[in-house]
Amino acid sequence: MRDSERSAEFVAFVRAHRADLVRTAVLLCAGDEAYAEDLVQTTLTRLYLSWSKVRRADSSLAYSRRCLTNVFIDEARRAHRRRETSVAVPMDALGRDPAGASPDLDLRALVLNALSSLAPRQRAVVVLRHWHDLDVDETARILGCRAGTVKSQNARALAHLREFLATADHQLDLEVS
Amino acid sequence: MTPLPDLKHALDVAAGDEPRPSDPSADLDRAQAAVRARSRRRFRLGVSTLATAALVGAASVVVLDGSPTSPPSAAAAEVQLVDQQFDAEPYTFDLTPEGWSVQAQMPSAVTIAPDDGSTSDEPHDFQGKLVILFDSNPLTGREVEHDGRRFWVTENPGHTIISTRTVDGEPTGVVRIQYPHDAGWEESSMIEFLASVHVGPGAQHGLG
Repeated sequence: MRDSERSAEFVAFVRAHRADLVRTAVLLCAGDEAYAEDLVQTTLTRLYLSWSKVRRADSSLAYSRRCLTNVFIDEARRAHRRRETSVAVPMDALGRDPAGASPDLDLRALVLNALSSLAPRQRAVVVLRHWHDLDVDETARILGCRAGTVKSQNARALAHLREFLATADHQLDLEVS
Repeated sequence: MTPLPDLKHALDVAAGDEPRPSDPSADLDRAQAAVRARSRRRFRLGVSTLATAALVGAASVVVLDGSPTSPPSAAAAEVQLVDQQFDAEPYTFDLTPEGWSVQAQMPSAVTIAPDDGSTSDEPHDFQGKLVILFDSNPLTGREVEHDGRRFWVTENPGHTIISTRTVDGEPTGVVRIQYPHDAGWEESSMIEFLASVHVGPGAQHGLG
């Protein structure tokens, strides 16, 4: 494949899917938008380097989400990670009901705070299973673990979210599918 | 208790609004710079391999003079491990990847980067590097046996992770190596390298 062809396809892919990757990364990073942007940039670079695999994939978006999750897990493995954390919504908005605040803003702060209380792999399971609607087997394939591990991580994550949200005096409909 | 919508909707809200369309040229510039860095690295590896092959070839001529049954050299287009010990406390290695050096050592990880400067100076950026990790996470992937020891191989986009249990006398856990696909390493070499890692008592489990 010529470089110009790869570049043209890459640009079209970025235009079409970057926003999706950023939103996924924001969830994986529990609202740390700078960290999410780093992950997306790293992911896009890796995709470009292996562009033939993106072309061969049944779904380039699904492949890129898989790559993004791997980048996130790699990052989560970093020992003694020190990072300045910035979040889109102040965490202290949690549980408050300031006059005039948007209900979605409250909900966003609440959910991001709840996600931040999960271990990285559990967070990835929640995002893949409950936002991207992937089944257990596909989630296991992306995370490089067994289906049983995904099920147990998912159950633990939902239990933790329930507990977390209960202490925040909210109740989220957490159905295990 | 305040009722909230279902989890999918809540996650959709938490993911934020659709970001404004951005100019893809910055992403393209970064990606093309990475391609150029990889090309430089491959070129240097190629020169190094050719030099090695030339040396091996010259040596073979001398050896073949008296031993026509000598097998052909295994000098292939891959990076070499040399039989030389090095320390990256609390880890020690019986083999050394030629042309690569320890960039960072921690109780739970060692980062080893190529000497050609083609990778990030940030030790926590693993792209293009060899990374030794120690943790207590499950072993998954394709099973491979090497010298009576079992290894698990998991391939990911851009890199592969090989894992094995620590041996008797070492802290209990799983030691792994993550290696990039585009740096000339073969799976067999990486298994050999991982098998040469000794985990010292100061090692600590990382996240995973």
